[in-house]
Amino acid sequence: MIRFLIKGLLRDRSRSLFPVMVVAIGVALTVLLQSWINGVMSDMIRSNANYSTGHIKLTTRAYAANEEQNPNDLALLDAGPLTDRLQKKYPGLHFVSRIRFGGLLDIPDEQGETREQAPVAGLGIDLLSPGSTEADRLNIRKSIIRGRMPEKPGEVLVSEDLARKLAVGPGRAATVLGSTMYGSMAMHNFTIVGTVRFGIAAMDRGAMVADLDDVRRMLDMEDTAAELLGYFDDGQYRDTAAVRIVAEVNAAVDNPTDEFAPVMRALRDQNDLAEYLDLAKNMTRIISGVFVVAMSIVLWNLGLIAGLRRYGEIGVRLAIGEQKGHIYCSMLLESVAVGLLGTLAGIAVGLIPAWYLQEYGVDIGAMMDNSSMMISSVMRAQITVQTFLIGFVPGLLSTVLGTALAGTGIYRRQTSQLFKELEV
Amino acid sequence: MILSLKLAYRNLIGAGLRTWLSVIVLSMSYVVIIWMQGFLEGWNQQARRDTIEQEIGGGQYWHAHYDPYDSLTLKESHAPAPAVLQSENTAPILIAQATIYPQGRMQSVVLKGIDPAQSVLALLTSALAKKGAYLPVLLGERAAKSANLRVGDQVTVRWRDAHGTYDAREAQVVHIMDTDVPTVDAGTFWVPLEDLRSMLQMPREATLLVVDETFNDPPSLTGWVFRDQTFLLEDFTSMMKMERVSSAIMYTILLALALLAIFDTQVLSIFRRRREIGTLIALGMTRGGVIRLFTIEGALHGVLAVGVAALYGVPLLIWQAHVGLSMPEVVDNYGMAIASTIYPAYSVRLVVGTVLLVMAAVTLISYLPTRRIARLNPTDAIRGKLS
Amino acid sequence: MKKQLLIPFALLTCGAFAQTPSGHSILEKVDANMTSETSITTSKMIIHGRRVSRTIESRSWSTGADNAFTEYLAPARERGTKMLKLGDRLWMYSPDTDRTIQLSGHMLRQSVMGSDLSYEDMMDDPRLAQIYAAEIVGTEAVEERPCWVLQLTANEQDVAYQSRKLWVDQERYVPVREELYAKGGKLLKRINLSGFKRIDERWYPMRMVFKDMLKNGKGTEFIVATIEFNAEIPSHILTKAALRR
Repeated sequence: MIRFLIKGLLRDRSRSLFPVMVVAIGVALTVLLQSWINGVMSDMIRSNANYSTGHIKLTTRAYAANEEQNPNDLALLDAGPLTDRLQKKYPGLHFVSRIRFGGLLDIPDEQGETREQAPVAGLGIDLLSPGSTEADRLNIRKSIIRGRMPEKPGEVLVSEDLARKLAVGPGRAATVLGSTMYGSMAMHNFTIVGTVRFGIAAMDRGAMVADLDDVRRMLDMEDTAAELLGYFDDGQYRDTAAVRIVAEVNAAVDNPTDEFAPVMRALRDQNDLAEYLDLAKNMTRIISGVFVVAMSIVLWNLGLIAGLRRYGEIGVRLAIGEQKGHIYCSMLLESVAVGLLGTLAGIAVGLIPAWYLQEYGVDIGAMMDNSSMMISSVMRAQITVQTFLIGFVPGLLSTVLGTALAGTGIYRRQTSQLFKELEV
Repeated sequence: MILSLKLAYRNLIGAGLRTWLSVIVLSMSYVVIIWMQGFLEGWNQQARRDTIEQEIGGGQYWHAHYDPYDSLTLKESHAPAPAVLQSENTAPILIAQATIYPQGRMQSVVLKGIDPAQSVLALLTSALAKKGAYLPVLLGERAAKSANLRVGDQVTVRWRDAHGTYDAREAQVVHIMDTDVPTVDAGTFWVPLEDLRSMLQMPREATLLVVDETFNDPPSLTGWVFRDQTFLLEDFTSMMKMERVSSAIMYTILLALALLAIFDTQVLSIFRRRREIGTLIALGMTRGGVIRLFTIEGALHGVLAVGVAALYGVPLLIWQAHVGLSMPEVVDNYGMAIASTIYPAYSVRLVVGTVLLVMAAVTLISYLPTRRIARLNPTDAIRGKLS
Repeated sequence: MKKQLLIPFALLTCGAFAQTPSGHSILEKVDANMTSETSITTSKMIIHGRRVSRTIESRSWSTGADNAFTEYLAPARERGTKMLKLGDRLWMYSPDTDRTIQLSGHMLRQSVMGSDLSYEDMMDDPRLAQIYAAEIVGTEAVEERPCWVLQLTANEQDVAYQSRKLWVDQERYVPVREELYAKGGKLLKRINLSGFKRIDERWYPMRMVFKDMLKNGKGTEFIVATIEFNAEIPSHILTKAALRR
């Protein structure tokens, strides 16, 4: 029977193509929209997570209390074993160490003496170990303005604005003067191999990115981590899971009152993000809800069309003695097939632009004059599991519902009137 | 034409539920577009107003060496305030770096000296007029939070004067202000201008001068650079542009969805009413007339949607404008003025513009399926066949 | 030989003719003990951090109040780091980078190696009698030794500390305690000096504890291992070229 119906659908293009197309377009729009809203709303969360908070963050208690001042003297010791333990316990998360530091970036002249100097905010991340995800997480590769990514120890990137201020470019030597974890003076030579535009004003004014191992050597922080950040493997922040892990880890700390005891915080607990997180969740729900309703109405409409189009056919089928219930059932089955096909096609079609917008985004940087950018000039969509589901609900349900409503007409038709109706 | 309109209207209403469904979807696009744009406009207006009132005034004269993003420049960027600007509509501000020691920890802050009696900026500087043993300090909520200070708390402030001599004083928090402008808040301690001048041994000096909005035609002064509002609001303008593009993408998709419904309805009605079309043509109505009839019918969705949108949208939007939309603190990290609550602002231009935009789109989308009518053979149509 | 005889004689005469010398004369004697034309010092600095304490060893050559050259000897990480101060300019050299970096004004106020001393404090070796007017404000026993309490007020504007308080051993003319005040009168730093040792004709404290009074913490100990006064310092040491050697 199902095969028969499908055959019918395939052969009668007006019965299949148009409805499937409309369902597909509608679903595609919903999918695209949901991923866009998701992307825009979670943009701030994403940039916070990627640049600062992680999905979860482990620091010492004292570090957490003075975080704004990058107090590296309060860093976590034995970061290696600690990371391994956490990684083993939570395989769904990926843990990375980072170190932030402040210092002076000193550019030498030919004699090796100070030519230019500027304060710099340094970020030490794992750039060089094979398979490191950090450069991608911070989208550094794509943000390079001049030069290239660091490929070996001692190579760093500086923000384009800072490079201009100091009149340096890729290939120039620079020395960073900072302070070690213990307060001693730290000097380290680097080669600037590229300049970056981060899209975050605070960093664009004067930041440099160096490999974590270099920074550890420079700041006497071997096997320590100022911040240990955890990211869910798919890159999406999952609030409930994060909060649960945080509770577990913190409960397992032996000496919770010690100021150097580790303390974990979820993204929610940092940078006042909790409120925004809730708002984002609600906004996404509300706007998506509106779309699902709108979509359902459109597709209901479509169900009506389908029923009406085949007024004659159904009349004939009734006239030759088919049961009303049977016809109704077969129409519902057909609509399931149409809905399913359309939804799948729609999701597929919708995901293409959504994926494009997720990967490449809409770069409106060109529209932004020369102002110092405050936020990423690239807006992106974000595809989540919800994106798939949100297409399904209206796509399938509303087609079936539409057919079900439209199909009730079958029961109103009188067998005695059929031939009169069919007289054309 | 009036006949077509009447006929179209009657047909449309006659279609009952389906018409209303499409109309409801379309009305949502009106409401969402106006709501989103109104929200952005409200944000825009509020942020500009707050930034102008509390930070930039009608523009600022900066000392030639002043760079707000490089604290190293502060040591060199002060000079006696120009005499031409010594008037009621300018507020000189002297800026210096200092160290505070809340609870025995060291923390860097920026001291900004401002005349407690000034009226150029809408900051509660009058609180600084308090005389006493302590240096009165006015703080924003962010600065207070980061130093863990409350009103009445005392904290040691240490600085070096123009000669490099250390000095320190106990300061007392006299007021904590709730401001939406992070640049007048984060890391900033507002103190009385004259106190700071004598603390730093910089009599009559200033780092920048804020002029009020009545100040026209800023004279060019050697050693000082005039920064106008456009310059000072540039970052914000950029962000607003970005938000606009983002919301435009969102409502374009929403509108597309609504248009899909109209398109769908049009196709359906043309299909269902082919006999009627055939009859009309047979009776002598031109094909163009029929196309017009159906296009008007489709476009009328837009008109009806205005009514429906008004029905639930007006109270909704008014309520929203009344209660506002609360924004999270985190937005502060962008360094821009964002109120904790944003009140949407709807202008006549916005409403009329939205209606025209949607109407144009609806008319176009209604017209597209009707082109089929042109190819219709009236005899086939009357027999109920659609070619 | 003649000189060695002269000093005790001078002390004797002071004691005989004026029971209480003037503040200024005390200060001059303090300067005579504490400062010299040149000095070569080997010292240890013990810095009590929030987590660990560290000991840093260094050797310094200084001439006058303004010029000094310091080479760090230990720990291994610090070895070979050199610092040169000429007037109000400061250069740092690290052997790892083979770079000489000039520190600008604000860097001079940063703490040295995480201690309670800033670079300025460290290099500041003022002849107190030239900068400050002194007034005896009392007598007090510190560590069972009778002391004059001196209130110092700066005669000039360009000084880091407008006023100081000095507890001076009445017999040895060395400060046993020093307090540094902000212009407004707030106590900023306290230095306790002890372990006095007779070197040539002078007394010198071999142990000093610096404490930043506004900050929490245990302070920084400065222990002099050897000190040589008025030794000949080859002129090439106090040059930028010496940093790289």
